[in-house]
Amino acid sequence: MKTPDKYPHVPTAWQDSLPVTSRYTVGLAGERFFRSIKDEGRIMGTYCPECDRTYVPAAIFCERCMSKLDQWVDVGTTGEIHTFTLLYTNYDGTPREDPEAIVLVKFGDGGLIHRLAEVDLEKVSIGMEVEAVFKPAAERQGSILDISHFRPLKE
Amino acid sequence: MTADHQDFPGTPLSEKDFEQGNVLFRHDEMRGQYAWDTGIAIGRYLQALREGVILGAYCRHCRKTVVPPRSVCEWCFRPMHEFVPLQDTGTVNTFSLCYVTWDVKRIQEPEIPAVIEIDGASPLHGIMHKLGEVNPQDVHIGMRVQAAWKEPEERQGAITDILYFKPIEE
Repeated sequence: MKTPDKYPHVPTAWQDSLPVTSRYTVGLAGERFFRSIKDEGRIMGTYCPECDRTYVPAAIFCERCMSKLDQWVDVGTTGEIHTFTLLYTNYDGTPREDPEAIVLVKFGDGGLIHRLAEVDLEKVSIGMEVEAVFKPAAERQGSILDISHFRPLKE
Repeated sequence: MTADHQDFPGTPLSEKDFEQGNVLFRHDEMRGQYAWDTGIAIGRYLQALREGVILGAYCRHCRKTVVPPRSVCEWCFRPMHEFVPLQDTGTVNTFSLCYVTWDVKRIQEPEIPAVIEIDGASPLHGIMHKLGEVNPQDVHIGMRVQAAWKEPEERQGAITDILYFKPIEE
């Protein structure tokens, strides 16, 4: 075979990037859920009377019985930690000294995943009562980050 | 089937709804970076483009010259005999007048993607590229064309080192 295996001066890889952008709309239930957070500082769920379940974040239909849901309930701004994890890595993959606590806070039969702050990480435990800390109303944008973080409920 | 339906479920949205803040939404950009290994044959092909040459590969068992070059013959699966420089002229095999860009924007002047059989390669062997310096109405199958190259210092070893193919008189 005359064909050489290698050309040392030829680049071996083609480097480029794909321009992928997305626009996600929050949907009918999400619209009311996030506007309640933004305008009223309230966390809302929807209740299915057939299944006796409360969906948080709010859903427009019941994923068990497919009923349309129109009973909105205020589930409050405190809940207990269902599970948590400590992150020692940043989003860009670099290590971090002080871990970030990410918790699943139970609301109704669902829950919200969020940051836990203002807490001694040694004392975080499943079942701990925590409360949502909202950003000032003027800074809210209709996002889950309108809740700045959760913190332990002061007794 | 859709002709039977006048009303569709769902909530239609227009660009105005986003601009005026009628709906909540999130914008996101994925980091779609990639590195594609060119392999031996395409690596050499891209290098040749930087040098202003369209490269093919010849199989002496099949007596075929293919473009772009490959390291293994598609017909007999033997290694290719050698890389061969081809002409930068060719013949339009097929083409399209395209009134939308790759990201689906309407345009008035069409882009003209075409498959061009390259002179020096076996019959019906060619590459896909664009046509330029031509009235779209004059494009036809069998039209003779030649590559319009970027300036040598601007070439980077890419298929876009050829700007387009343009008609030639012979």
